[in-house]
Amino acid sequence: MTAATQATTSTAAAAPPAVTIRDLTIVYRTPAGELPAVSGVDLDLPPGTITGLVGESGSGKSTLALSLLGAVQRPGRIAAGSIHVDGLGNLVELSAKSLQEARGGEIGYVFQAAQNSLNPLKTVGKQLLDLGRSHGVRDRTALVRSAKELLAGMGLDAARVLDSYQHELSGGMRQRVGIMFALVLNAHVLVLDEPTTALDMISQANVLKIVRAVHTERGLTTLLVTHDIGVVAEVAERIAVMYGGVVVEQGETADVLRAPKHPYARALINAIPRVSGDLSAARPLPGRPPTLGTIPTRGCVFRERCAVYAERQLPACVAEQPPLAPVADGSGRLVACHAVAVEDQQATGETA
Amino acid sequence: MIHKKRSLDGATRESLDRATNGTGTDGTGTDGTGTDGTGTAGAIEARGIVKSFKARGDVLAGRTVRALRGVDFRIPPGGAASFIGESGCGKTTLGRILAGVESFDSGELVLGGVPLAGLAPRKRAPHFRRVQLIHQDPYSALNPTRTVESILRDPLALRAKQTGQSRAWIDGRAREVLDLVGLDPGYVLPRFPHQLSGGMRQRVVIARALTVDPAALVADEAVSMIDVSLRLGVLNLLRELRSTLGVSVLFITHDVATARYIGADGELYVIYRGEIVEHGPTETVLADPVHPYTQCLLSAIPVLHGVEQPGADRLAPTEPLDESQPEDGCLFAARCPFATDRCRTEHPELGHLGGTAHEHACFYPQRRSVVATPLADT
Ligand SMILES: Nc1ncnc2c1ncn2[C@@H]1O[C@H](COP(=O)(O)OP(=O)(O)OP(=O)(O)O)[C@@H](O)[C@H]1O
Ligand SMILES: Nc1ncnc2c1ncn2[C@@H]1O[C@H](COP(=O)(O)OP(=O)(O)OP(=O)(O)O)[C@@H](O)[C@H]1O
Ligand code: SF4
Ligand SMILES: [Mg+2]
Ligand SMILES: [Mg+2]
Repeated sequence: MTAATQATTSTAAAAPPAVTIRDLTIVYRTPAGELPAVSGVDLDLPPGTITGLVGESGSGKSTLALSLLGAVQRPGRIAAGSIHVDGLGNLVELSAKSLQEARGGEIGYVFQAAQNSLNPLKTVGKQLLDLGRSHGVRDRTALVRSAKELLAGMGLDAARVLDSYQHELSGGMRQRVGIMFALVLNAHVLVLDEPTTALDMISQANVLKIVRAVHTERGLTTLLVTHDIGVVAEVAERIAVMYGGVVVEQGETADVLRAPKHPYARALINAIPRVSGDLSAARPLPGRPPTLGTIPTRGCVFRERCAVYAERQLPACVAEQPPLAPVADGSGRLVACHAVAVEDQQATGETA
Repeated sequence: MIHKKRSLDGATRESLDRATNGTGTDGTGTDGTGTDGTGTAGAIEARGIVKSFKARGDVLAGRTVRALRGVDFRIPPGGAASFIGESGCGKTTLGRILAGVESFDSGELVLGGVPLAGLAPRKRAPHFRRVQLIHQDPYSALNPTRTVESILRDPLALRAKQTGQSRAWIDGRAREVLDLVGLDPGYVLPRFPHQLSGGMRQRVVIARALTVDPAALVADEAVSMIDVSLRLGVLNLLRELRSTLGVSVLFITHDVATARYIGADGELYVIYRGEIVEHGPTETVLADPVHPYTQCLLSAIPVLHGVEQPGADRLAPTEPLDESQPEDGCLFAARCPFATDRCRTEHPELGHLGGTAHEHACFYPQRRSVVATPLADT
């Protein structure tokens, strides 16, 4: 029996697993050859935390999220690196069969556009039984009971929802059904890709509240992918900012929002209009986000749009991509920027 | 490449002049059917717009959905009106009615000073043409098999035919509208939509709308699919078109901060189940909302912890939105944390708050601090 099938029958709260991603590179085959959508990424999801992964369209968020499910598909492939999940090992080295069991089992997920990812021809309940079957669940009664508990916990009329087709549910209800599917086999790692996109404010607030509650109750390790920094600010204790396939800054959400250090993180946060305070504080970020073909292959990925580079013209920015390294202030913040590294050196040099 | 807007010239200046002339005069100036395809004069006004649909879907089929229950609004030339509200509250329907792509059951619409209710449908068309709809999706709004040049040429050729302009005018005008939206004509004209970024594509959509010298743009979630870093650029463009061309903007969104950015100097309308429940100057409504629905809506905006502190009185609706909730009293009563028996039986009408421009439809208006505010030292 697999871990997943055992999990449905025992609700014993295991310690949330840690997820450790190292030097991960994922490439897509294109007419111009294999190009990296994720380049040498290091990312830690500490056990029991929600980490928000933000970045613009095409920065590689979904590709990275898919790799956590062992679901990168052709024309993509993992070219290098490791993804270590407590209890499962290195996903990159698992067999296709073990990955299939882990996916939807130990690792639950809600895909981008989950709103439309339900099968329109089958009721939610029917799809639940399909999921159970594909993961070798024997005890169907327990499976349904567990689904009902989850749905009711999210404020839904469970019996009615299980009897419904996709088109009979609102957007917010569908997102909740997606979360139920992600967790019903007792996942301990939860991956949510844009769980609130296309929802209105009140539905979004409800879904986020539910994510937070379920995460805490079940002791999960959660990765939440979104382009909306507000969403991360609301629920995630940690944030990772991606640009051009690279994680450029990682740290405690409130710290990063208060004082972003990477020039891209700073520009991105400054580009958000606010509901109060000085409107003119919002500043557009010049240039446009790169696509696979236009990500610089040498030097810093952000250089072309970087205000700091425009001013200081550090040769290192042209020579190589800066590594994601801890900043000197001891806050545990990680930043990939030559200019920040130089400032740190100067500061520590002065105090020494 | 996006570049800085050059000086306004030619036909652009013409429309600028018209816009300036129009400002201040209210309602009556132009008849809107003139040979140059109408003027910008006059506010846009809607009075008591009502619209019902026969419901779709299995569960509700046959029931009537009251999408709009008598909506009033007014946008002066160059002004902005933003509409916020939950999904299904009638925002898109309202925008589509203003652009003439959806009919309405009753009420009056005044465009360019001309009341439309009395006109035959054929006579309404030229007025509606001056209200251009900008959709959410810049990816599907443009024909992928045509270059930007060809996309702009059609509406311009039609216009040239109506006004007896030459071929050269068409080419010149295509460059002008691209200039206006901050795109380099030389770069974008020969390109196909897929060769442009989302922000650039949305600018092309706006440029296309400008080919008809619109009096108003209806921007329905126009930036929600655009990358955060490019969003502000498009919003700035809309702001600029308001002031330089006198174009009015009806801005529909779930994103309150965006509505504020585009229309801080304009009006904010909060719509619930087809009814305006609160309205006033944008900054006033955001800083001092008095209707519990507005307060719930604004409470749901994510707080940027670390940079902002949540409002002290943040609140949430007691129930989810359900179209079958009663319609006798206040439409929000079933979900309102403060509802009384009166709310469940009597319908509160929209009225002014102590003689100000701030309107609300609640028996118990009360200021509550629900919006996040910047933390002191940021
Ligand atoms: N199947 C594919 N084949 C080729 N390229 C792909 C494929 N899937 C994604 N890409 C490319 O990889 C890059 C990263 O895509 P990804 O979907 O991971 O970005 P994202 O950050 O999730 O963007 P969004 O915010 O738009 O969802 C993009 O440039 C994208 O075009
Ligand atoms: N063509 C139609 N036929 C039937 N019902 C419709 C039609 N168009 C809109 N409706 C209904 O009218 C109501 C208002 O819809 P509308 O699209 O205007 O809302 P909205 O405020 O734009 O919502 P959202 O924020 O989700 O875009 C909804 O109940 C919707 O289902
Ligand atoms: S490394 Fe250089 S180019 Fe890159 S973000 Fe830092 S300063 Fe800018
Ligand atoms: Mg994605
Ligand atoms: Mg809509």
